Amino acid sequence: MRRTVAALLALPAVLAAGPVLGATVRDMLGREVAVPAAPARIVSLVPSVTEVIFALGGQARLAGVTDFCDYPPAARAVPSVGGMVNPSLETIVALEPDLVVATSEGNREETLQQLRRLGVPVYVVRVQRVTETLDLIRRVGELVDRREAVAPLAAALERRIAAVREAVRPYPTPRVLYVLWPDPLIVPGGQSIITELITLAGGRSITAEHGEAYPRFSLEVAVARAPEVILLADHAGSGSAAGRASPEKWRTLTSVPAIKAGRLHSVDPTLLHRYGPRLADGLESLARMIHPEAFR
Amino acid sequence: MSPERRLASALVALAAVLVAVAGLALFVGSAGLSPVAVARALAGRADAESVESVVTLGLRLPRILVAAVAGGALAVAGVAFQGLTRNPLAEPSVLGISSGAAFGVVLAQIVGLGISPLEALGVTAFAFGGALLAAAAVYLVARVPGGLSIQTLLLAGVIVGIFFGSAITVLISIVDFNRLGGVVHWLLGNLAPLPPASLALFAVLAGVGVLVVLRHARELNLLALGEESAVQLGVDAERLKRRIFLGAALLTGAVVAFAGPIGFVGLIVPHALRGRLGQDHRLLVPTAALAGGVFLLAADTVARNVVAPAELSVGVITAFCGAPFFVYLLRTRYRPTL
Repeated sequence: MRRTVAALLALPAVLAAGPVLGATVRDMLGREVAVPAAPARIVSLVPSVTEVIFALGGQARLAGVTDFCDYPPAARAVPSVGGMVNPSLETIVALEPDLVVATSEGNREETLQQLRRLGVPVYVVRVQRVTETLDLIRRVGELVDRREAVAPLAAALERRIAAVREAVRPYPTPRVLYVLWPDPLIVPGGQSIITELITLAGGRSITAEHGEAYPRFSLEVAVARAPEVILLADHAGSGSAAGRASPEKWRTLTSVPAIKAGRLHSVDPTLLHRYGPRLADGLESLARMIHPEAFR
Repeated sequence: MSPERRLASALVALAAVLVAVAGLALFVGSAGLSPVAVARALAGRADAESVESVVTLGLRLPRILVAAVAGGALAVAGVAFQGLTRNPLAEPSVLGISSGAAFGVVLAQIVGLGISPLEALGVTAFAFGGALLAAAAVYLVARVPGGLSIQTLLLAGVIVGIFFGSAITVLISIVDFNRLGGVVHWLLGNLAPLPPASLALFAVLAGVGVLVVLRHARELNLLALGEESAVQLGVDAERLKRRIFLGAALLTGAVVAFAGPIGFVGLIVPHALRGRLGQDHRLLVPTAALAGGVFLLAADTVARNVVAPAELSVGVITAFCGAPFFVYLLRTRYRPTL
């Protein structure tokens, strides 16, 4: 009994001491994180980060992922710790991670505080710009000790992004409405990476002036701004019927130029809403929808 | 059997059940530790940095303690509100008082209060304020000449609950929309392990609330006879109601601040006890403090294991049990009074 009490009293101190320190680095929120020299057991609570780790060839260091980490297919074989909002702390701890990578947009701050309390270093990422995606790839390359894989991956991304910009440059920029979620209507605002991708793809998002990342939006205003292209994120793949893109609903808005011209498209949200190596795929598909004439 | 003996035997039995359920909860979880490993961690024989120590002593044990304290506090708050309003269906979440406290917590977080013990005290103060505000609103809405009618009180509670629920959404939407998902999750009621200092503070606050109610248990028995009779028997009814009101609001506020709004514990537990022990508040209050812990701990153990490795919110489990129970009470026992 006395030993239990002693162990309990010693617990906070021991937990705070944490694993063998490699270096203190700053995460993407600028917070200091004591990252071990070469983290060998990483738990990723972010699907995009999981994709980056695989793309860099660092998956041997991946000890756990979330239920939403579905790409590449091999990610499904990594042990899951639960959802992004409600992962099991116990499962995470049982995986004995020396680093947890999380995001400020999708994970709960409470979860991260609990992990820190238990002495697990938590590295937080936040990506709202394409350049930050490149920064993320570089940072993950350092965390998984695959620095040599960073440059080729980043260069390929940059090359493909530049090619898209080049292809759409001669054409005028149509007004684009991007529908993240249909009901209630949620759209990308100025802080969202999707808005930047629309610009890179040669379009002009009609919801770009909103300061927030993902505001709820008025359908009336969306119609009044006469979008020439409407893109519907189709969440059917996530198994949610509520998130299925239902073009029928939009086709009744016959006054909208995009509907008149038949320019209503479904897009794959896992390509556009994630800031990983597949960003270029998403950008290319976006450009083909906004400027089909540029890719004949 | 004398009341004292009945109380003692009930308390001993409940304490034994609480220890048994806590013991069981220590041994199950998504980490899949072997019973031997858990026992080793408990005995202090495992390396303090080992998985079994961290999971058993750092995650499961504090969470079990949080569940025991929060459940006891909620059950006593239920007894208190039922005695105060002389309404068997009164309870912090049904009356909208949890929602008021939750509004206080969200407000405190927006003001910038964090999770250190001192700040947690501030958060509790906000939650207490919110609970008082909501309770006062319910009382003013439901008050009619000659007391509180059951239906009006319940309706007032529903309305106040909806109002504060919307107020939380408005607050978050204006200030920090990105957190809305997290707040919605928190509003379902979740238990998480607390650090030792916060846990101690929570236990002290809940203990004060329970003592306030316990000290007036005899007067609550007299109040059950009706306010007029109670006054004739020497009870200072106004003072009694004020104290119980404050005590129950403190219990609700502390639980919401440290664990989140969890519903129906204050309904299920007191009714289960009344069936066995009768209406005497001197028996109900102390037994509710233990039985509430047993119930919430059992519910939380289900919540963290049923969809592992993800977790359900414990509030979902208590509501899943509580809502049908509420309907049952409404349709059977209290039909004639409606």
